Formats: sequence, C-alpha cells, structure tokens
Amino acid sequence: MTQALLEVQDLHTVFDTKEGTVKAVDGVSYELYPGETLGIVGESGCGKSVSALSIMRLQRPGRIVSGKVMFKGQDLTKLTEAEMREIRGKEIAMIFQDPMTSLNPVYDVGWQVGEPTRLHNGWDAKKALASAISMLGRVGIPAAASRAEDYPHQFSGGMRQRVMIAMGLTTTPQVLIADEPTTALDVTIQAQILDLLRHVNREFGTATILITHNLGVVAGMCQRVLVMYAGRVVESGPTADVFAHPKHPYTWSLLRSIPRLDAEKHEPLWPIEGIPPSLVDLPAGCSFHPRCAFRIDRCTRDEPALLQVGETQLAACWVTQAGGELKGA
Amino acid sequence: MPSAGIETGAARPAQSYWNESWERLRANRIGMAAGILIVVLAAIAIAAPLFSALLTHYLPEAINLDETFAKPGLKHLLGSDEIGRDTLTRLIFGARVSLGVAFLTVLLSTTVGTTVGMLAGYYGGWLDDILMRFVDMVLSIPAIFLFILMSILFRPNPVTLAMIVASVGWGAVARLVRGEVLSVKERDFILATRSIGASDARMMLRHLLPNVLPVLIVAASLGVGQIILVEAALDFLGLGIQPPTPSWGNMLTNSQSYFFRSGFLVGFPGIAIFITVLASNLFGNAVRDAFDPRLKSH
Repeated sequence: MTQALLEVQDLHTVFDTKEGTVKAVDGVSYELYPGETLGIVGESGCGKSVSALSIMRLQRPGRIVSGKVMFKGQDLTKLTEAEMREIRGKEIAMIFQDPMTSLNPVYDVGWQVGEPTRLHNGWDAKKALASAISMLGRVGIPAAASRAEDYPHQFSGGMRQRVMIAMGLTTTPQVLIADEPTTALDVTIQAQILDLLRHVNREFGTATILITHNLGVVAGMCQRVLVMYAGRVVESGPTADVFAHPKHPYTWSLLRSIPRLDAEKHEPLWPIEGIPPSLVDLPAGCSFHPRCAFRIDRCTRDEPALLQVGETQLAACWVTQAGGELKGA
Repeated sequence: MPSAGIETGAARPAQSYWNESWERLRANRIGMAAGILIVVLAAIAIAAPLFSALLTHYLPEAINLDETFAKPGLKHLLGSDEIGRDTLTRLIFGARVSLGVAFLTVLLSTTVGTTVGMLAGYYGGWLDDILMRFVDMVLSIPAIFLFILMSILFRPNPVTLAMIVASVGWGAVARLVRGEVLSVKERDFILATRSIGASDARMMLRHLLPNVLPVLIVAASLGVGQIILVEAALDFLGLGIQPPTPSWGNMLTNSQSYFFRSGFLVGFPGIAIFITVLASNLFGNAVRDAFDPRLKSH
C-alpha cells in the first residue's frame, strides 16, 4: 500500500463538563491515503465531528489529551498555533454542515472565497478575486463573476455549500474534511453536492474525509469506511465489504435499521434498541454491549481491541473475533 | 443545473447588509431629518468663528455694558445677557464645546469599550473574568461624585472633560460589545474562518468587528445625546467648562439668576440642548430600526 497522507494515532479528545470528563474521542486511529475518500459514520454524538475537528486542532473547548496526528512527517498536535494556522486552509481544508450560517454575512462571496489565498499565498485582492471567480465557476456557480459580488443571503443552501467547497479548494489542499456537508440540504441538492465532491476528488486529487450519519452517502462516495460508536472506531474496512458482511454488531444493526431498495416487500426495519451511552460514564467492557443482540459474558467485562476480522476488515468485537457470525433474529 | 437557472434569472443588484440598512435609514424621514440636523449643528460648531464674523458680528466674550438684557432683535438676533454678550454668538461657540465634548467622549469610550469587550468576549476565561469584573467596578462608581472629584483634580477643558466622562462611559460599551461578541463567535462562520487559518487578530478585526458594528453605531448615536446632557449638567454645577468660555450648560447656570429679568437667557440654551439631545435620540433610534427592522417599535 502507498504511504498514508494523514495518520491519526490513538487520539483522545475530552471535554471538561460539570457532569465530568466527556471522552468524545477515545483512542481513535486511522489513515487517509492520497486521493481516497474515507467515510466516517456513526450516530450523533459518537465523536465523528470532534475527531475531525481535532485533526485541525479546532476542537475547542475540548482538549486533545493524547495521541498523534501525523501529516507530512510532522505531528500536528505538537505544532504551535502559528504553525497550525499555516496548515489550516492551506494543506487541510474543511467544509461544514450548515452552509446557511458558515459564511460571514457582512462580506460578499468573492471576498470570502478569496480569503484563503490572500492569507496563505499572499495574493493581493485582485488576484485572489480572479481565482475565487474561476473556482466558483468550477464548482458550478453560474455567472460566477457577477455572483461573486453577491452576499451570502442571496444564495440558496445548495449554492452556499458550493461556495464553501470553492473556498476550501482555492489553495488546492491535500486533504478536504467534509463534516456532514449535505445534512442541511434537501435530497436533490444533496445529490448535486455529492456529485461535486466526487468530481473534486477526481479532478484535484484531494483526499477527502466525509463525515456523515447517512449510510447511503457512504456507499455512494467512499472507498473505505470507519464506523464510530461512543468515541471509538468499532469497525473499518472497504465500504463494499463492511456493508456486505458487517463484522461488528453495531454496523450490523445500523444496516438493518435503514430501508433498502432490494429488500423483500414486507421485510421490517429493525431500530437499534436502547440509546447511546453517556460519554461521561461508559459501560464497562464493550460500550455497545447493553444494546447488543450478540453479547456474551466477556463483553460486559473486557473492552475489545480493533483487530483484523476476515480478509479486509477490522472490528472491535469479541464475538466476531472468535469467529462468530452475525445473523438476524 | 435547474436550480441554478432560476437563481441567475432574478437580476438583482448586489445588496449588502450595509446597503439595505442605508436604504431603510433613508426612508425614515424623521430619522434623516434628525441626522441632518446634527450634521448641520456640527458644521456650525466647526465654523463658529465664520458665523460670528459674518452673521452676528460679535465675539463670544465681548462685553458691552450699554446693551445688557437686549431682547431678540436685529441688533442681537437672540438677545444679549447681563453684561451685553450676544446670545447667538455664545450659543454657536457653546455648540463647539457641547458637541465637541460629546463626540470626543463617544469616540474615546467606544474605542476603549470595544477593545475591552472584544478581548473579553473573544478570549473568554480568566481574561474575561478580570476585564469584566473591572467593568463592573467602573460601572458601580457613582459617576457624579467621580466627575466632581476629577473636575477638582484636573482643571476641566473640553478634552479633559471628555476624558473624565469617557472614563466611566466605556464600561457600558464594553458590556454591550462583549455580549454581541459572545453571540457572534458561536456562529458557524467563525469556526469556518478559523478553519481557513485566520489569526486571532484577523478574526477579531475583520470578522467579529464588522458584525458588532451595527450595535456600536446605535450606541454611539444614542450616546451623543446622553453625553450632551451629562456635560450640560456638569457645566451647570460649575464642574465643567468654566466661564467666560461659553457652553450651553454654563450659559444656563449663568442665566438662572436672571430668569425673571429675561426668560430668553434660559430659553435659548435650554432649547439648544433639548433639540440636540432629541435629534441624537431620534437618529439613534432610526439607525437601530434601519439595522434591525425586527426591533422596530410601533
């Protein structure tokens, strides 16, 4: 395999709250390879956004307590704030969930899209605007030159997300982190934005981390997928394999809880019983055991590590690691 | 793409928040009239020597014991006082003091208050605690006693008077700005801006400040009126600008003994103060309505 572009190693990010320390990211490791699209899925509050924000060191008020984020031979968690600013927006760009509020209302769109190049490439206003206009055109904004003079409130949600993507790409970063980029958009616009992200990934060769709770988006976009639960990675592997033969009961339950086009007519949907555990007070052993249909005694005592299960996948589950099968009840 | 075609179909001029607010302000007749009045008063104050030379032909401190207590007329347009000084001339020069002190005070308290409020709101934590406890302290000083003390320590001229009033006034601005910053900084575009590598200074000056500016402008317009009142009160108590330099406040003090001899001596400075403060308040309200039409009170 080729050299990983970005390597997250045993990352721990916590939030100090009145109720106690919230372990939002609790020992997460993964690699991102050049040009690939990696999906991170999980329920709300499972730590997927925080793990991505931690890469950029934007996790405030959370704290990264341990772990490394290796990028181009340096550990991002050890950089000074000034060095980190050189990475943000230049090497690693990020787009956010809600395009309606992610743009500054007082500046026109051309100014904002040009801001990363003014900051990082030292371009003057004119050159930055020219590149912003060309980038707006490339992400599918019609009449980009005149639209660049418009203000964010004059754009629709989908158009604003295109603007955000254009802003992320002006400096041709190597990594693009997309944090639920389509969640706030309606379905047809979602498809357009996902098309655009696929196109960007091909044309610019930007490695993309796509954070979502939508399994359909992952299936359509990502070569590899990471499933997170309660701040940990519980399963990872090539998307096709993970979806065809999930090796963790959480992934298995997740897949059973969404409708499929190829399902039998009256096949019921199975919601996952129970609620995600409090991140302040995780259950002993495997965090998923209270909701797991396959649990064995060991699950309530010992915490499973993320180990190879099957040919291509990693899973943190005592049952499948011992060769057990996940079959529907 | 279908949605794209619809959007470009609507040919609207680029409308920034500022443009739209300006359009709304322009549509507000009372507000605009008040604003224009303040500008005219400021122009008169700046050009005071010109006015006295061309219009009234008197110097503000010129005494003429032959023409005391003159009624308004051709010789003295607004009459004269107990030692024959021309009231209109003194009012025009008094505007210099009253408006000058008010604008300078607002400038000082806004600058200091914005800096403190911005730092406290943006960084939060211990810096916020220290700065805002200090603001609490400043705001709990009974201002009038402080003014009296400072006026005794520093001989008040317009500049020191502005500094004295601003030394308390910045606290309210700091609180206002901090509150706005706390709310604006939680908005997603701040995180998005951080994610493109903007420095703290850039975040505060280029991204937070323009979003806080509307409340600042409103506070400043309303502040001018309040400070004119404070300044007049200090002058009236003899703690502000000292005679014979005319100010609207000390003209009132001076005239109170002659209220029954010549009501005009009380009336004209009083009217000047009243109109200016009213204009400042009306303009401030108009600006607030222009920036946020939802706040408009009916």
